[in-house]
Amino acid sequence: MAFYQDSWLILLSPLFSFAVIIFGTRMWDLASRGRVAATSGPEAAALAAEESGTQLMEGHGPHGEEEVLEDDEDPKVPRLTMGARVSGYTGIVILALACIYSWLILLNSAGVINIAPALPTSGVTVLSYDWFNQGTASYIISFHLDTLAITMMVVVTTVSLLVQFYSQGYMENSAGYARFFSYLSLFTFSMLVIVFAQNFLVIFVGWELVGLSSYLLIGFWINKRAKPDEDRLSPATASIMAFITTRVGDVGFIIGIMILFTTTGTFEFATLASKTDPHGVIHAFAGNTGLLTAAMILVFCGAIGKSAQLPLTVWLPPAMEGPTPVSALIHAATMVAAGVYMVARTFPLFAAADPAAFQVVAWVGAITALYAALTALTQTDFKRVLAFSTISQLGYMFVGLGVAGTVLGPGPGMFHLFTHAFFKALLFLGAGSVIHALHHATHKEVQEMSKMGGLAKYMPITAITWLVATLTISGFPFFSGFYSKDNIIGLAFQHGYYGLYVITLGTAGLTAFYMLRAYILAFGGKGGGFGGLWGGTYRGEGEPHESPRTITIPLVLLAIASIVAGYWTGFFGYIQPGAPNLDLGVVFTDPLTWIGVVVSFVGLGWAYVLYTRFELAAIHDFVEGNIVLRFLHRLTLRKFYIDNLYDLLIRYVVFGISHIEAAFDTYVVDGIVNGVAGAVTGAGRGARRLETGKVQAYMVGFFGGIAVLAIVVVALVMFVK
Amino acid sequence: MGLSLNHFLVLGALLFCIGLYGALAKRNAIAILMGIEIMLNAVNVTLIGFSFFNTVKPYSTYLTGQIFAIFIITVAAAEAAVALAMIISIYRKRSTVDVGEINLMKW
Amino acid sequence: MDLVTVLFWIIAIILVGSALLVVSMRNIVHSALALVMLFAMAAGIYLLLNAEFIAIVQILIYAGAVAILVLFALMLTRTDSLSTNSNPNNKQWWLAAIISTLVGAAIIFAATFSQYSTAHGGSGAGYGSSACHLPPNNVVYIGQLLYSPTCYSYVLPFEIASLVLLVAIVGAIVIGREE
Repeated sequence: MAFYQDSWLILLSPLFSFAVIIFGTRMWDLASRGRVAATSGPEAAALAAEESGTQLMEGHGPHGEEEVLEDDEDPKVPRLTMGARVSGYTGIVILALACIYSWLILLNSAGVINIAPALPTSGVTVLSYDWFNQGTASYIISFHLDTLAITMMVVVTTVSLLVQFYSQGYMENSAGYARFFSYLSLFTFSMLVIVFAQNFLVIFVGWELVGLSSYLLIGFWINKRAKPDEDRLSPATASIMAFITTRVGDVGFIIGIMILFTTTGTFEFATLASKTDPHGVIHAFAGNTGLLTAAMILVFCGAIGKSAQLPLTVWLPPAMEGPTPVSALIHAATMVAAGVYMVARTFPLFAAADPAAFQVVAWVGAITALYAALTALTQTDFKRVLAFSTISQLGYMFVGLGVAGTVLGPGPGMFHLFTHAFFKALLFLGAGSVIHALHHATHKEVQEMSKMGGLAKYMPITAITWLVATLTISGFPFFSGFYSKDNIIGLAFQHGYYGLYVITLGTAGLTAFYMLRAYILAFGGKGGGFGGLWGGTYRGEGEPHESPRTITIPLVLLAIASIVAGYWTGFFGYIQPGAPNLDLGVVFTDPLTWIGVVVSFVGLGWAYVLYTRFELAAIHDFVEGNIVLRFLHRLTLRKFYIDNLYDLLIRYVVFGISHIEAAFDTYVVDGIVNGVAGAVTGAGRGARRLETGKVQAYMVGFFGGIAVLAIVVVALVMFVK
Repeated sequence: MGLSLNHFLVLGALLFCIGLYGALAKRNAIAILMGIEIMLNAVNVTLIGFSFFNTVKPYSTYLTGQIFAIFIITVAAAEAAVALAMIISIYRKRSTVDVGEINLMKW
Repeated sequence: MDLVTVLFWIIAIILVGSALLVVSMRNIVHSALALVMLFAMAAGIYLLLNAEFIAIVQILIYAGAVAILVLFALMLTRTDSLSTNSNPNNKQWWLAAIISTLVGAAIIFAATFSQYSTAHGGSGAGYGSSACHLPPNNVVYIGQLLYSPTCYSYVLPFEIASLVLLVAIVGAIVIGREE
């Protein structure tokens, strides 16, 4: 048991490296830079820029020319100090150990290797601390490890490790290198708190920690300004936006937790599940499953916020302003996965509620998936396409959770989360590799796909891994996304949700289209090899080069994982004992599977024909020439005007209410306060006359008071016995 | 009817309120001081009366009231000395002992 | 009426009368002289209460020292209107009269008429009780109470009182000194 019990080491190791970096090596970094600053000019300037937040950039191009960039992104240092390097190594080494340990736990508990006894079905509690007891309610901080947590833990540690390794290359000249690694460690820790949480109390703490970490990381480039012509916010604004938007969902989350707690008197997932079990002895919600349903839908609101589902999708695309490794981490393993994981974790509660609860989950997921896929069709920003694809894939996960039923449990949704983590991390890290290369080539931050094209011949490793990820997310057969996504689409049909089936199936085709579109726009184009898939006209400036090994190694590893992850056929049974496993024979003979494959091939083929046969400008002109297409293009490019809708809503409704409240505050609250103050001032002005400075006046007051008291006492003695 | 404690208490009360009147109503600072002396004497009368009529022990061995009176006399003497010094000091500066014209007891 | 009672009434009437004179004389020197009379009569009351030591101290300190001090102060602060009205009332004298009447009435009420008064507190050890028969020299007892280092005594307050006197002397000198 100690093998599992000691997994608290995994939980606390990122926190440890966070502390070490923040209090130790980062100080070392800053101190050593301070010493260098006395002798060397540019480094002192860079240090000053980071410290004071001024907008100073140093050109560091391969041509050696001093060139001040137009974007003021991140203060640079010519080379990292030893302290900064050690910061990175600390984070990576500690996380690598944690990652190895978590893989050992996964393999052992799945029965692949046998170095320790099997994990009990109910899991093991690794850390437990009685915070305080109050009446019958007890508030326990406890961390738990079961198969669901192990799966997620592996995903989190693996993706975090690869992202940190990758960041060595991506952030190579950043002045905030040490700070970046400390934030990454904190982010990993926050997510692990959610993963290990055994009750709503702890999961909520982790929930908010994740919000904080994402805030810190999205806004990492504090000096960067907004780019209105590219419809991009400044990172600082985007981080605030992410924080506030998820907070909106958290309100529902808190209310849901409160309802559950007041009714059952516990936060523990296990106790809650037994108390809400429809066949159980004690049913806290007996005769009132409507309340339970409402509570679970409110809890799901939290997941909507964190996982950027409709109507709270707006924060995720601006969150692309953070460094690309952060985007990978957010999208693959931590922030957005938290919502899915939380729903999977509370799966028994959703199952105990009315079917409406799961239907809400599934329909929100499906509509979001469709919406995001439609929006992604026309986005021109490389990372923004990925952002919408994440939203769309998260929608799939919620559909998977919503339609699975109690026999399969959270398995299908979690399976897609598991595979998605690898290929989405790969997509983002590949995008980061492209941005990194283009930054070196053009000294600008290029994210517009119209300035890419034909990159495959410059950076083949990035291109091939990206193509793997594209095919995976598109549901190309034999890649992992094929198994996990088609499984969800098939489940929707088998369980009688035909509306969901149609939506998810259509979305799969759209996904294939926009992902291959993004690939061809970036890496291929008209005139390239393999009919336009490999190379083509490069539309940007300069000469891009393949990224360094620190960047390409994670890409290759993730590409392998993206293919292999789908062959874990025992996943469902691992997550929920008794659930039927994925049978590859059935998968390949099921006509539903082939319908899905055909749909995704249609999407892929369409994108292939459109973007390898025609120049981008030609397609653009054609769309602009047709009024219907132009309208649709605008509609999806502007994200169906949801941002504008929120803008109007906030500007007129929220600000309107705020004005009323401000008026109330000014005239009523301030009126009372100022009135009291005025009365006191007036009384004081009057009382000032009493202070004559003459001793006899005071004596009269003193003895007059005694006389009055005497009268009162006499009256009391005489008339009140 | 013999004398009782009440006789002395009423005597003390009369003296006290006469002294109080003097302290409150007079303009001359020395007259105020005289009123205060009358009040102190009234208290002494009361204390010695209590001491004599105590019900705890024979008066001759229970003299706490008298001890108090001694202390009061001591403090009264000190007070008279300081107060008169102050009056003289103020008189030197302002050529008056009318407390109505002395308004130092404020900011 | 025994002699003690007669003496009490005579002394009390002179005492209250001289007190009234102190506050009502128009010439403040006359007031001061009435104050001397008051101190002397108060000493008589103390004698009636078997407090010979206090009575002597009263004569010495009050009728002697304090009265002389007051007269000196009067002399040093001589005003022009000494003969006409050197002891005037201020504007709030009616308020002072009301307040002092109320306070005095309340004390008298508390001492005599209320159910908590000493008249209802049982018989005391006053005149007529056996404890009064032997009035020894109670100066001895006072001395023991004030100075005894072994028995229960007021040594510490006594020493503090001496300190108070010292401070008063120093203070009076400092305040009254010519600049």
